[in-house]
Amino acid sequence: MEHLGKEHILIRPEDYDKNFSTLNLGPTHPATHGIFQNILTMNGETIVDAEQTIGYIHRAFEKLAERRAFYQITTLTDRMNYCSSPINNIGWQMTVEKLLGVETSKRIDYMRIIIMELARISDHLICNSVIGVDSGAMTGFIYLFQEREKIYEIYEEICGARLTTNLGRIGGFERDLSPLAIKKIREFIAHLPKVIRQFEKLLLRNRIFMDRTINVGGISAERALNYGFTGPCLRAAGVDYDVRVMNHYSSYNDFDLTIPVGTNGDTYDRFCVRQEEIWQSIKLVKNALENLPEGSYHMDVPEFYLPPKEEVYSKMESLIWHFKIVMGEVDVPVGEVYHSVEGGNGELGFYLVSDGGRTPFRLHFRRPCFIYYQAFPEMIKGSFLSDAILTMSSMNVIAGELDA
Amino acid sequence: MELQEIQKILLGKFPDDILSFDESSDILTLTVRKSRILDLIQYLKDDLGYLFLTDLCGIHYPDQELQLGVVYHLHNLLKNTRIRVKTFTSVEAPEIDSLTGIFSAANWMERETYDFFGVIFSNHPNLIRILNVEYLDYYPLRKEYPLEDQTRTDKDDRFFGR
Repeated sequence: MEHLGKEHILIRPEDYDKNFSTLNLGPTHPATHGIFQNILTMNGETIVDAEQTIGYIHRAFEKLAERRAFYQITTLTDRMNYCSSPINNIGWQMTVEKLLGVETSKRIDYMRIIIMELARISDHLICNSVIGVDSGAMTGFIYLFQEREKIYEIYEEICGARLTTNLGRIGGFERDLSPLAIKKIREFIAHLPKVIRQFEKLLLRNRIFMDRTINVGGISAERALNYGFTGPCLRAAGVDYDVRVMNHYSSYNDFDLTIPVGTNGDTYDRFCVRQEEIWQSIKLVKNALENLPEGSYHMDVPEFYLPPKEEVYSKMESLIWHFKIVMGEVDVPVGEVYHSVEGGNGELGFYLVSDGGRTPFRLHFRRPCFIYYQAFPEMIKGSFLSDAILTMSSMNVIAGELDA
Repeated sequence: MELQEIQKILLGKFPDDILSFDESSDILTLTVRKSRILDLIQYLKDDLGYLFLTDLCGIHYPDQELQLGVVYHLHNLLKNTRIRVKTFTSVEAPEIDSLTGIFSAANWMERETYDFFGVIFSNHPNLIRILNVEYLDYYPLRKEYPLEDQTRTDKDDRFFGR
């Protein structure tokens, strides 16, 4: 297509005498943490305009999902926001449960809260430590990555995988939290505050860090709402919208949760909001673990929840169900649902249209980064190139989620 | 505001253009004629407080007369109510007014819908493909392009390890 954004990439004729230059930032630039291309028009070191190109790791998940049975789509959601895949997994499972009308027990809800909050912690740890790296403070990054490693060990104990977790099943969990997993979570939660305090001492009131981040990449609350911002980026701009509080999925209303908000919507505010959310998540995990009720770790949904393997080999009924589930021969209600969860980056929505077949008729993922990353040129216009890098890392744009 | 009330207000305002209401769904769903979609969304935003465009996506029903649909999810953040607006268009003339004048967020979402379904959003500032390559000459999420049959045997897969 010859009209592909020519007027956006090239310097406009009226600017010919202004000594502007074009700079190609990306697609694979070490400072952008992922495959993002930005073609910047620069005036000296100041950004005049930016043209974004995305889609470098597009994998057509929405099309693939139209060929897969519901339980097989969980693995697709892993690969969206891979910094917090359990949230995506559980969000998808809750969407299917909403379509099927399955009510989950408190135990499952609390287990989900524990895992989703751990995932949120790991997401925010990465994002905030990377803001540190991009502003020149490598130390915090190394400290926090050690903690993220512990979260991954917990995932490993719960589901066997570390990054692309495929955690949980429709109707609950594949297995119960083992005593070792609970021990690991307890140890992690007891140890994390010390590390976070150390990290905050390193950066939060650090003059250099504050000079680099305050008033960098700011956006007003009104513009942020208009641009469809959600999650920490919206809250940093001063709007207290959090899906966990607004919609109370998975029994979040049983717990006390404070929504931190910023005022300027700049990089420093986004950093602070994420930092406070880590504290809130620690509290949530602690409370959920203390109040974890006894009971089964999965609901009774024989059409979707695989029977135990030993029963498959010894009982006729279980064998039939196993076969039906794996071949996708179960009946699904006709209808459409929209369900959203608070992902690491904001409202992660699933719009599922079912025509009663074994696969979704249409599945659309509302990916928070995809929607708010389009505000990036507006946020960096007039700032320095080094500030643009910081703005991007503080928006926590994840290539997998952006391109789906 | 109760859902019935919203329904009554909207029916009073757009009596001929709202084709159907669906309350059985999880969110209040309505279908509107595509010529009035811009007015309806503007009205929802300005007068009923649906300030936030949560989602915009396309859908393709090959068996309908108007095959291509666009589904909008709007959210009233103050009252925490959501509304789903659908509008349909034919494949031959897939033009629908762009929402970019109302919501900046619609820009990329409409580009995505164009990219996958070929819906042309009139007055969009930069309607080009976003996730697929520019030279793709079809709209991949339409139902006439099924995924490859997984049982086919006529392909030489030696090099792809399948």
